[in-house]
Amino acid sequence: MALLVLPACLLVLGLLIGPMILMFRISLNHFSPTQLMVEAFSFDNYVRAAQDPYYQEIILTTLGMALLCTALTLVIAYPAAYWLGRLQNRWKSLVVIATLFPLLVGNVVRSAGWMALFERDGLINVTLRRLHLISEPLTLMYTPKAVVFGIIAVVLPYMILTISAVIENIPRDLEDAASNLGAPGLKIFWRVILPLSAPGVAAGSILVFVLCMNTYATAVLLGGPRFKMMAPAIFDQFVRGNNWPMGATLAFMLLAVTMSFTIFGSIAFARRYRLR
Amino acid sequence: MLSRRHFLSAGAGAATLLASQPRLARAEGSQVVVGTWGGDYGQLLSDLIDKPLLAPKGVEVLQDVANADPRKTKLLAERQSRRGSMDVACLSDSDHYLVAGTNVFETVDATKVPRLDKVFPALRTDTAIPHIYSAQVILYNVNQVKTPPTSWADLWDPKWKGRVGLADILYPNNTLMAALAGGGSVSNYDPGEKKLMELRSLDVKIYPSNEALAAALKSEEVWLTSMWLARGFMWKKSGIPLSHVVPKEGAVSIVFEASVPRNARNKDGGFAYLEAMLDAKAQVAFADKMGYVPTVSDAVLPQDLAKQVSLTEEDRAKLLKPDYKYLTERSQRTLDFWNKQFKG
Repeated sequence: MALLVLPACLLVLGLLIGPMILMFRISLNHFSPTQLMVEAFSFDNYVRAAQDPYYQEIILTTLGMALLCTALTLVIAYPAAYWLGRLQNRWKSLVVIATLFPLLVGNVVRSAGWMALFERDGLINVTLRRLHLISEPLTLMYTPKAVVFGIIAVVLPYMILTISAVIENIPRDLEDAASNLGAPGLKIFWRVILPLSAPGVAAGSILVFVLCMNTYATAVLLGGPRFKMMAPAIFDQFVRGNNWPMGATLAFMLLAVTMSFTIFGSIAFARRYRLR
Repeated sequence: MLSRRHFLSAGAGAATLLASQPRLARAEGSQVVVGTWGGDYGQLLSDLIDKPLLAPKGVEVLQDVANADPRKTKLLAERQSRRGSMDVACLSDSDHYLVAGTNVFETVDATKVPRLDKVFPALRTDTAIPHIYSAQVILYNVNQVKTPPTSWADLWDPKWKGRVGLADILYPNNTLMAALAGGGSVSNYDPGEKKLMELRSLDVKIYPSNEALAAALKSEEVWLTSMWLARGFMWKKSGIPLSHVVPKEGAVSIVFEASVPRNARNKDGGFAYLEAMLDAKAQVAFADKMGYVPTVSDAVLPQDLAKQVSLTEEDRAKLLKPDYKYLTERSQRTLDFWNKQFKG
């Protein structure tokens, strides 16, 4: 039976761990503008990036955006996931497909759609001006708000589908039993549904948090040049600056922050809801 | 379990595949992979060079379409490989200088590319052919800007507060423009840093791409910018009310070049492609469609077109060639300053 996991393990080893080891080695090299990469073995890049207020701010912005978007997505997704989880008629598969539908459109195309909406002469500004609600166009593009909207639109289906899969398996009788014993709706949610759906909330939140931490296209297209998250900053070093050692260093720092928050978050969540 | 029969048939298949390798190699002789930009540039290469000039010779051209940054990264990543993925790589002059410094490209001379003799001497390099070129100028909205600026420094006039827009991707060129405005030169970007911070306090707008900047010029969100004259020509053609000024501090040239990587699979095909890129008729057509000026002396533009895309004799005297060594050595500082201080 253990052999069944072999193909997946080999794939991960070959295509993920291997390049990561190579990337880690690159992060220990030095950068030279003319030679590009000079063989070295030092952690200078890590020290420099960790001490640089610019990267500290980018990490904090990325973390803040990821936590905010995860929390907002959870709040928006939970009622929809509950409804979907409890849906038992023939429309269910259609609703699941409809939930998945946004994922069929690429991130860049989806962001281009948001741009058409948010631009100075985009749909929102044109509509508000025609209704004489504003005289000057609102600045919607290239703002953190636009990025939050964009990210939530991308990650919402992941959260809905993960939570609804768990809610589906919570027997409806438990809600009825709690109701018969006199518990009001909110209490049933807080004491019965939420603890039982905690594994779905945890899995969905981790998935969404990791996706948010790695946001690239949405941050660049909707956030504009002045809004910086880690993935665009890594791209900048690799591609615009040709500084592969610093790019690799930032990539590992992002990985470390994402993993730490994911692990500590999972442990804290498991303790709170006594998950195993 | 694999039976003996399966094993034999798999072995025969592998043998057939190995035997067909020489034929495969010969087939590659008539195929050239060109790493290029997509959009209008890629389409024009296809219409003016691939189909009319190379297809009749039995050369099939495959375009590897990407922006310059991924192409540069690919060339650098592949430099240790015996066989690269491109036979021709198109890059701007500064990108070419950087990549050529790592010994990635074959040398180019008139024995390999005979039409190199027709190329303007100032544009020649050892490892590339100059395909087309233009100059960095001031573009302004003719409806909104009644007294056009005459110098880069004029963009810092407080009356244009919030009306100057810059493209983020052109950060090295914008830094040089600021340096020129502050009394610097192509070999001294230092004054540019102070000038950029001043421009920031004048509420300069920054757009992620040239296209986003064009949209902002069209909606009149911004009225002035620093851009290639050729881009201005195309934007004018698309209906944006623009005109240009060659600033008195000087206009910086940009040359789009093409090279054959050392590890190209079809070097002969690559050099044949470079030769075709210097075809006079094709270069005139590029000027007509995209506004970039020919690099060969026998490509003469119609007077009307020349007036719109070429520089006058007087302006040409103000044309500045970038100091590639300086800008390459300073590249990290330029990027860091742009990201951390100017945009930060």
